[in-house]
Amino acid sequence: MNDFIAGHRFSGSDQMKSPSMDPAKQHPMKEKEKKQILTAQEQLKQQEFQQEAVAHINSLYNYALHLTMNPDDAEDLVQETYLKAYKFFNSFERGTNCKAWLFKILKNNYINKFRKNAREPGKVDYDLIKDFYHTIKDVQSDTTEAESDFFHSLLHEEVYQALQSLPDEFREVIQLCDIEGFTYEEIANMVESPIGTVRSRLYRGRKLLRAKLEDYAKKHGFDTESGE
Amino acid sequence: MNCNKAMVLMSAAIDGELTPKEEAELAHHLTQCPECRAEFQDAKRTKIIIRDRIVRVKAPSNLVESITRLTSITS
Repeated sequence: MNDFIAGHRFSGSDQMKSPSMDPAKQHPMKEKEKKQILTAQEQLKQQEFQQEAVAHINSLYNYALHLTMNPDDAEDLVQETYLKAYKFFNSFERGTNCKAWLFKILKNNYINKFRKNAREPGKVDYDLIKDFYHTIKDVQSDTTEAESDFFHSLLHEEVYQALQSLPDEFREVIQLCDIEGFTYEEIANMVESPIGTVRSRLYRGRKLLRAKLEDYAKKHGFDTESGE
Repeated sequence: MNCNKAMVLMSAAIDGELTPKEEAELAHHLTQCPECRAEFQDAKRTKIIIRDRIVRVKAPSNLVESITRLTSITS
């Protein structure tokens, strides 16, 4: 078949170059509109992320500090967590607990990056804990004084040491429950264990912790039996 | 319910994580056991002391700025 039309031979490349066939030129506004929509979507994502995720940065940083016991490592860990969270923010289910989601990412990052250097099970470096506590205690904090009786004598440092000296699996659930306020279900998801295990670890961890705190209280001359 | 079981439930009770059945069982035991009542009060105080005596710090401002910047760059 003769493909000459009006003296012009159409070839594939001619078809592409023809103004009526070039998609960009055929619908120039659509390409521009597409870019504007993407920018608006990206802006919305950024806004949402700032409101939902970045709002938890203090909690994340504190958790990272407890895990790493090193402010520089904690900063790196938090930064990596937020980078990953932003990348996968579209997979975050709106309406669920964003803080829990972020903590899980942070925990996974910690395991991948730092776990190989973690302390040996059962070994507690009290000097490291003490030094670390003194590093952070002068930084602005948002603690409030607790109302308590025989525990009133306990120094912040002693409570901190008692907590840090617990086995990892006990300390972790106490931190997540008592300090960060997560539910058992959320904690179970984060530590990848059944709720029953979380409950058991909290019970056993608190029992151990209580014994350690009583030791400290006794040093201050309190009779922990009578509470005086 | 014996005191050992009551103490296990107490730990979950202070977190508001008991089932209605467990709550009722614990409440019943506490009415009959003054030692466990005292133990329950101490368990609550331990949670408060952990929550309030552990130092919490604000994230460094350079970290906050860095993350705000990083997540403001169009990917």
